[in-house]
Amino acid sequence: MSRLVAELPAPTTQNPVRAGRRRRSRQERLAYKILLPALGTVVVIVTIPFILAVVQSIQADDGTWVGLQNYARALSNPGFYDALRATGLYAVIVLPAEIVLGLGFALLVHRTVQSPGLRATLYILAVVPLVVPPVAVGVVARLIYAPGYGVLNVILERLGIIHQEIEWLSVPALAMFSVASVDIWQWTPFVYLVLFAGLQTVPKESVEAAQVDGATWWTQFVYIELHYLRPLFLLILFFRAADILRVFDHIFILTGGGPGTTTQLLSLYLYRVEFRFFQTGQGSALAVVVLVSISLLYTLVTRLLPLERT
Amino acid sequence: MAIGARLALAVIGLAAAAIVYAFPLYWLIVTSLKSKAELFASTIHLLPHNPTFEPYVSVLIDRGFWVLLKNSVIVCASTVVITIALGLLITYPITRLPVPVGLRVGVLNWALSLRFLPPVAVVIPYFAIVRTLQIYDQPIALIGIYSLFNLPFAIWMLKGFLAEIPLELEDAALVDGANRWTAFRRVLLPLAAPGLLAAATIVFTFAWSEFLFALILTATPNAQTFPVGVQGLVTQFEIIWNDMAASGVIAMTIPLILMVVARKYMVAGLTFGVIRDK
Repeated sequence: MSRLVAELPAPTTQNPVRAGRRRRSRQERLAYKILLPALGTVVVIVTIPFILAVVQSIQADDGTWVGLQNYARALSNPGFYDALRATGLYAVIVLPAEIVLGLGFALLVHRTVQSPGLRATLYILAVVPLVVPPVAVGVVARLIYAPGYGVLNVILERLGIIHQEIEWLSVPALAMFSVASVDIWQWTPFVYLVLFAGLQTVPKESVEAAQVDGATWWTQFVYIELHYLRPLFLLILFFRAADILRVFDHIFILTGGGPGTTTQLLSLYLYRVEFRFFQTGQGSALAVVVLVSISLLYTLVTRLLPLERT
Repeated sequence: MAIGARLALAVIGLAAAAIVYAFPLYWLIVTSLKSKAELFASTIHLLPHNPTFEPYVSVLIDRGFWVLLKNSVIVCASTVVITIALGLLITYPITRLPVPVGLRVGVLNWALSLRFLPPVAVVIPYFAIVRTLQIYDQPIALIGIYSLFNLPFAIWMLKGFLAEIPLELEDAALVDGANRWTAFRRVLLPLAAPGLLAAATIVFTFAWSEFLFALILTATPNAQTFPVGVQGLVTQFEIIWNDMAASGVIAMTIPLILMVVARKYMVAGLTFGVIRDK
């Protein structure tokens, strides 16, 4: 029977010295001999595109140097701020919904489902949405929301809830909701799995002691379980935020960024500038801006993540 | 909350989730089994109605999507081989050999930072490189970038698996006169095999689902992968719903089958080992 648990890092201890000085240094040399070529290749391959992006960002399309002109154009383009706003709105809808729903289900299953078989089944079912390709999820969403053929309107009409088609993808607010709902569908199970695993690390004794002391459902959560889940919330926020910055596939399929630019998130905007309007200089400037801001953000937050690094 | 109320809440919650998750997938499959004639019928049947495999034949044979499937398999399999090989070259020294703790932590942190690279920002300069090397619209362009983007997962997963195998086992083989390579092949590799398989499966799944790079770096069935084909069916002027649904079903079948193999490691992979299966 499998049991999913969260494994948080133990305080780091020094490696015990396992062998004599000479053997150790020979092994260490071997380590570098294997590691450095592989690592070096990857570092070079990662770095080249970044340098190239910087070079392209200070050139015009015909190769002349233009200094920071591309940056000025990229950052004064209102489309960029629309994209930032859309990305922010998307995050504000999607993150709380996924966390509240995922946490709700994790607590519910943790408290009420005791059968290991049923828990294992729920685990497998929760993994399913995570492995469905986002493109396929986009297709499913299209079948549900599309005008004329979307099944959601058909169902709502048959139930007598609506009498007129709702234009899920062409009214701005509804389009954003439709696009966000797809993200929530796909990623709430991830939040559920992580938090459910976190709940399994809460020691039974402290819960039982609290219950003897008359802790209610709510106080048990706030004073005991929340404490164990805190690092996992951070992990979820960080990973999901990174994913939102790369969201592309399902929106591209469902609305293509429309109506207008309502659902044109940052990655769709960059794609448009570079590969639809062929503004290479501006696209590269944007790429550099995004890469640098993410690296900064990353260095600020990464040390807080509860990962086993040793 | 009383036990009864809690149970009722659980039943209602899980039933609602079941509908929200099962119905869209059900509807995808039902639509993929519709005949052309039924698409234009005035009433939409919610239950299967004269199901037919016509759309699958239409997608794979008539539209020639089997070529895209083949491309996907080639790209994903090559990505898996390169990613796992590179991953082993990087994780073997830092987990099995005495390197300074700082180096190990540095490598892992660096790998983690790659996880947060936004693909669209990377693909802009990568596109220029691909044009210069004249590998535009060739599988190798995808294999390269997929290997890079999957490497962080591979490094963190392999690190987890290798660290769990006691160093003493290899040391024993070394004392018996085996060299490092033999000890690696005969002792470590068999023990790490389940973990390697899991990592390989997950990398394959990720590569299979990838869409943005494939959209930008390919143009013809010479290198286009299956998701690009699916997208082509969606944004046409007139959507052929049953074909589109069938292509969606095909796209998700392979990851779902692979998930059966790697289900225990899926969450560990996605969370860089924070969530483990005990």
